[in-house]
Amino acid sequence: MCTTDPVHQDSRRIREVLLAAWNKHLAEAGAMTSPDELSGSSPPSVFVGAYGYPRVGIGPLVPATHGDTSILDAPERWNTETLSEIIRYRLDLVRGIKHVRADEPDGRYVESLQEMAMSVRPIDSELLFERGITRSYEQDDHATPFGSVGQIKSTSFSNAPSHPALERAYGDDDMDARQAVLSLYRAGVDVTRIQKCLSVGMFGIKRRLVPTKWSITAVDSIISRQLALDIMDTPEIDSWRVFESERLGNAYSVILYPHTWRYEMVEAWHTDGGATGFGSDSETHSGMNHTPAIAGAYFAARLGVSEYLARSKVCAGALVLREIRPEYSVPVGVWQVRQGVRDAMRGPFKTVDGIAEALSVASAHTSTSAQEWLSYSGTAHALKQKSLTEFA
Amino acid sequence: MVFKAETAGSDDLKAIISAVSTLVDEATFVASAEGITFRGMDPSHVALIDISWPNSAFEKYECDGDIRFGVKIDELGRLIKRVGKKDKIEIGISDDNKLLVTISGTKKYKIRMIESSSSETPLPKVTYDAKMVMDLQNFDRILGDIDVVSEYLTVTTKGSKSVFSGKGDSGEVSLDVKGGDEGVREITASAESTATYSLEYLNPITKAIGSAAEDITCEYSESKPLRLEFKVSNIGRIHFYLAPRVDS
Repeated sequence: MCTTDPVHQDSRRIREVLLAAWNKHLAEAGAMTSPDELSGSSPPSVFVGAYGYPRVGIGPLVPATHGDTSILDAPERWNTETLSEIIRYRLDLVRGIKHVRADEPDGRYVESLQEMAMSVRPIDSELLFERGITRSYEQDDHATPFGSVGQIKSTSFSNAPSHPALERAYGDDDMDARQAVLSLYRAGVDVTRIQKCLSVGMFGIKRRLVPTKWSITAVDSIISRQLALDIMDTPEIDSWRVFESERLGNAYSVILYPHTWRYEMVEAWHTDGGATGFGSDSETHSGMNHTPAIAGAYFAARLGVSEYLARSKVCAGALVLREIRPEYSVPVGVWQVRQGVRDAMRGPFKTVDGIAEALSVASAHTSTSAQEWLSYSGTAHALKQKSLTEFA
Repeated sequence: MVFKAETAGSDDLKAIISAVSTLVDEATFVASAEGITFRGMDPSHVALIDISWPNSAFEKYECDGDIRFGVKIDELGRLIKRVGKKDKIEIGISDDNKLLVTISGTKKYKIRMIESSSSETPLPKVTYDAKMVMDLQNFDRILGDIDVVSEYLTVTTKGSKSVFSGKGDSGEVSLDVKGGDEGVREITASAESTATYSLEYLNPITKAIGSAAEDITCEYSESKPLRLEFKVSNIGRIHFYLAPRVDS
């Protein structure tokens, strides 16, 4: 591929358009507030930075508008939005920061953020900053982006009722964080909400602040591991199935096959310059025992797949293929992988006859070929090992 | 319900626990009037162990019904490892529903039991075309020879001759064995058969049985599961099934 490829020109154009929209937007937002104070309704949203850990920058995300701002931080509800719309939502949010030790998640400031994290509705917030707001657009592969940052001098938040299940987990000092995460998930609390609450040190026996990007991965990992354990004794699916979806310039194919739990994710990314990169990692029944080569995306996709298996009460091996296209010019967070795979698993599937046909179906809509997917995946090699079940 | 089983020494039980522990973390044993049995597959369903330990293999055996008892295999293994070769081991169930292990009549352990699994594990249905009977030591040596270059063992048997081979990044190996060779009791094949099996499974089970069995009987068919039979003290029997690796 070469750089004159229309797709890559598109990608550059998209990024330029986004950049222009973002600058204009920040200028407008700046005009709406004085540089050292901000008044608005937090969706509610809180953020814990990783920089400087264990002394971390923690605070609310607040826009300059009042009212029902909940859509600004609701990945589970972002189903039809375009990439630029999602970035618009996020650029509206200013991140207030105060430095706190991660292992001392107490004091009035942290408590007020914990209350915010479990609130059922947006929280009216007044923030006073030390030295005004820095207009920065920090990018992080895991967390959703946000607009600008300000060192907090003082805050004032309105009260709101708490989500009862979150409040119960918050009040339970005897329940470890893992159990809290699982019980909230089972109670139907959104994964992104559980992630926020975990990050501000609301669960567990020994409580601590967890940088948002670690918290996201921890919650995806805890829930999907438990779901994988839950389905290990269920019957294996009886056919090869291919599920597909596309979201924000990411194409997902999930291939399920009759097997005990085995999971692999392969990512192919295509850059503006026409280069292609690959990354992959996998696990068997004993789970993942190292940081996956493809980081948080691995667990976010594992959650989407294991939810489907748990819902269907079946066991399977899974191969997830993710093609990241140049149109995905600004990463918006790992939630996008979770929701993309969930989309695929909610949709209809194609029944195929083995890995060759599965990869040919999956590659029909990707610029990555079946042969390329195959060469970066360990699944075909692993499937040479037959199981006794096939001979029973 | 009465259940009491007493062994003459500790070797057999050590071998059995060691064999089971190569595949599973938790094991459900079944005791009946006929003896004790165990059947379990590893979590990836690649290998299966089927053990039959008849009442005649015990010094004393009493059981008047079907009893299932589940244990964490490393918890039981830790204490059995400490038992001397000649020490008698008595197994029973205590009034408070724990596994009662008495060593030489004086040392009494109570081990917690876990929920026993009730799932039936079917045995693979295979007609075996090839059969080898040899010293376990001899078999262990063959595995070691292949292991030098390969993660997998390929075996081809024709008539009374078997060729074991392996291939890896570092090189390849081939090894001929005939019926009648020293330490080889029998090799027969009703049809020429070739199959490949993972050493990742074969090595641990062979080491686990160790000196508790003298002979090994291997049976397999073209690209079908392998069955290993170990006779422990000529009475207890351990069957180990292993699914093949197939290129396609």
